[in-house]
Amino acid sequence: MRLARLLAVRILSAASRLLPRHLSTWSSAMAHELIAIDDDRAALAFAAGCLRAALSLAIAARVRSAASAVRTLLFPSAPFSWSLPTMNGISARPRLLGLLCGAAAVGIGMAYMQAAGAPSRYLLVNLAALVLGATAWLALGGAARSRLAGSGRATLAMSAALLMTAGFGVAAEGASRWVSVGPLTLQVSLILLPVMIILYARRPDAPGTGGMAVAALALALQPDRAMAGVLAAAMIVVGIENRRRLPILAASVSAAAFGWTLIRPDSLGATAFVDRVLYTAFDVHPLAGAAVAIGAAALVVPAAAGLWKGAGDRSALLAFGACWSAAVAAAALGNCPTPLVGYGGSAVLGYLLSVSLLPGGARRGEAAAFGSSAPRGPGPDDILSELRAAPSA
Amino acid sequence: MTRPRALSGHARALLAALLAAGPRWSYGYELASLTGIKSGTLYPLLIRLEGQSYLEAEWQQPVAAGRPPRHAYRLTAAGRRLALAEAAAVDRNVAIAGGRAGEAAS
Repeated sequence: MRLARLLAVRILSAASRLLPRHLSTWSSAMAHELIAIDDDRAALAFAAGCLRAALSLAIAARVRSAASAVRTLLFPSAPFSWSLPTMNGISARPRLLGLLCGAAAVGIGMAYMQAAGAPSRYLLVNLAALVLGATAWLALGGAARSRLAGSGRATLAMSAALLMTAGFGVAAEGASRWVSVGPLTLQVSLILLPVMIILYARRPDAPGTGGMAVAALALALQPDRAMAGVLAAAMIVVGIENRRRLPILAASVSAAAFGWTLIRPDSLGATAFVDRVLYTAFDVHPLAGAAVAIGAAALVVPAAAGLWKGAGDRSALLAFGACWSAAVAAAALGNCPTPLVGYGGSAVLGYLLSVSLLPGGARRGEAAAFGSSAPRGPGPDDILSELRAAPSA
Repeated sequence: MTRPRALSGHARALLAALLAAGPRWSYGYELASLTGIKSGTLYPLLIRLEGQSYLEAEWQQPVAAGRPPRHAYRLTAAGRRLALAEAAAVDRNVAIAGGRAGEAAS
C-alpha cells in the first residue's frame, strides 16, 4: 500500500475512534467513501477533513453532555422520578463526576477566598487552571477508552521531570519542588504525580514501575513528605489490588521513600490560602469551613461512586481514591497545599488530568437509545482489511 | 422539526447540489467535489441535515464487484422545501442587489 493511502487509512481510523458511538454509521460512511476515492492525495485530504469533523463532533458531544449534567445538578427541579435516575447515571460515570466534583471544589474554594479577602489574582489563577484542566478533560476523552500502550514510557518521562525539579527546581527553605513559568510557580509533583498514578494503576508494566521508582526517589530528594505519602498510599492500594511482582515492588520503593521523608526535617511554614485551609476557613465562618471540608471530601467522590457502581477499571478508581484521600489528609495534618479548595493551579490541573484518565462508565442515554447491538464504527483493522480487499486504482 | 435560523454558505451550496440531484442518490465524496466543500465541513452538515429530517441516507450495494457499499444521500420532501426556499431567498437577494446597483449607476 502506498504511503499516502496508508496515512489516509490511519487518519480515518483515528477519526473513527474519536466519533461518539451514536455516530458510528457516519464513521463507516467516511471509511467506505475513502475506499471509493481512487486518487491517493485526494484520499489523504478527505481523511484529514474527516478527522477534523470527528474532532469537532466529539468535542460538541462532550460539551453537550457536560452541560446537561451541570444543568441537572444546578437545577434539579425535575420530578423526583426523573432526576434520581439521572443522578444515578452520573454517579456511574467517574470521568464526568470527577469533572463536576473538581469544578464544585474550585468554586467553593473561590467563594471561601473571596470571603476571606484573598487577592483577586488567586481566584483568577484557580479559575484559569479549571478552564485549562476542563479543556484537557475534553481532549483526553479517547485516552480514557484506549489501552494506553505507551503509558509506561510516559510515566518514566514524567518521573524524569520530577527528578529534574529536585535537582534544578526553585528551592525554598531546603525544599526544591517548584518550577517558574513566567509569573507563576508550579508544583510539578502536584500536576504530574496524580496522572502517573492513574496511568500506572491502569497498566502496571515494567517501564511504569521504573517511572514510579524514579518518582519516589525524586520526592525523597526534593523532599516532599506530602506527595511521597500520596504516592505510597496509591502504590500500596495498587499493589494489594494487583498482587503481582511489579506493583508490589513499586509499593515497596514508594513506602521506603515516604519513610525517608518522615525522618527528614520539613521546615516549610504555612502559606495563607494555600496551607491549613481546612482550619483557617472556620475562622472566616463556620459555614465557610464546612463548605471547604465538603469541597475537599468531594474530590474522592468519583472513586467511591465508581467503585460502588462498578463503573470500570477498579485499580484506577482505587488508586485515584487513595491519591486524593492522601492529599487531603496531608493538607489536614501538615503545612501542605489544600487541593482545589485552596489557592494553587497545580492541584487543579493535576486533579482534572487524573480525572481525565478515569473510566468513562456506561452512558445511559446511549445505551437506551442504541442498545448493545448498536452498529460500531469500523476499527483500524476493519478499514485496512476493506482497503486491501478493494481493487487498486 | 425546526428550521435552522440562518444557513451558512456551505449549507446552502450543499442543499443546492442535493436539490439539483433530484431523486437521484449522491455520495459524500461526489458532493464534496461538486460543491467544493471539504469533508471536514461536509459530514457535520450531512449529520445535522439528517438529524433535522431534511436528508435521508441509505447504504447502497456496490455496482462493481469487490467494492464496499456506500452511504448515499438525497433530500426528503421537507429538505426539498427548505432548499427551494433558500434558493428563492438567494434569487430575491440577487435581484435586490441588482436593482440597487442599477439605481446607483443611473
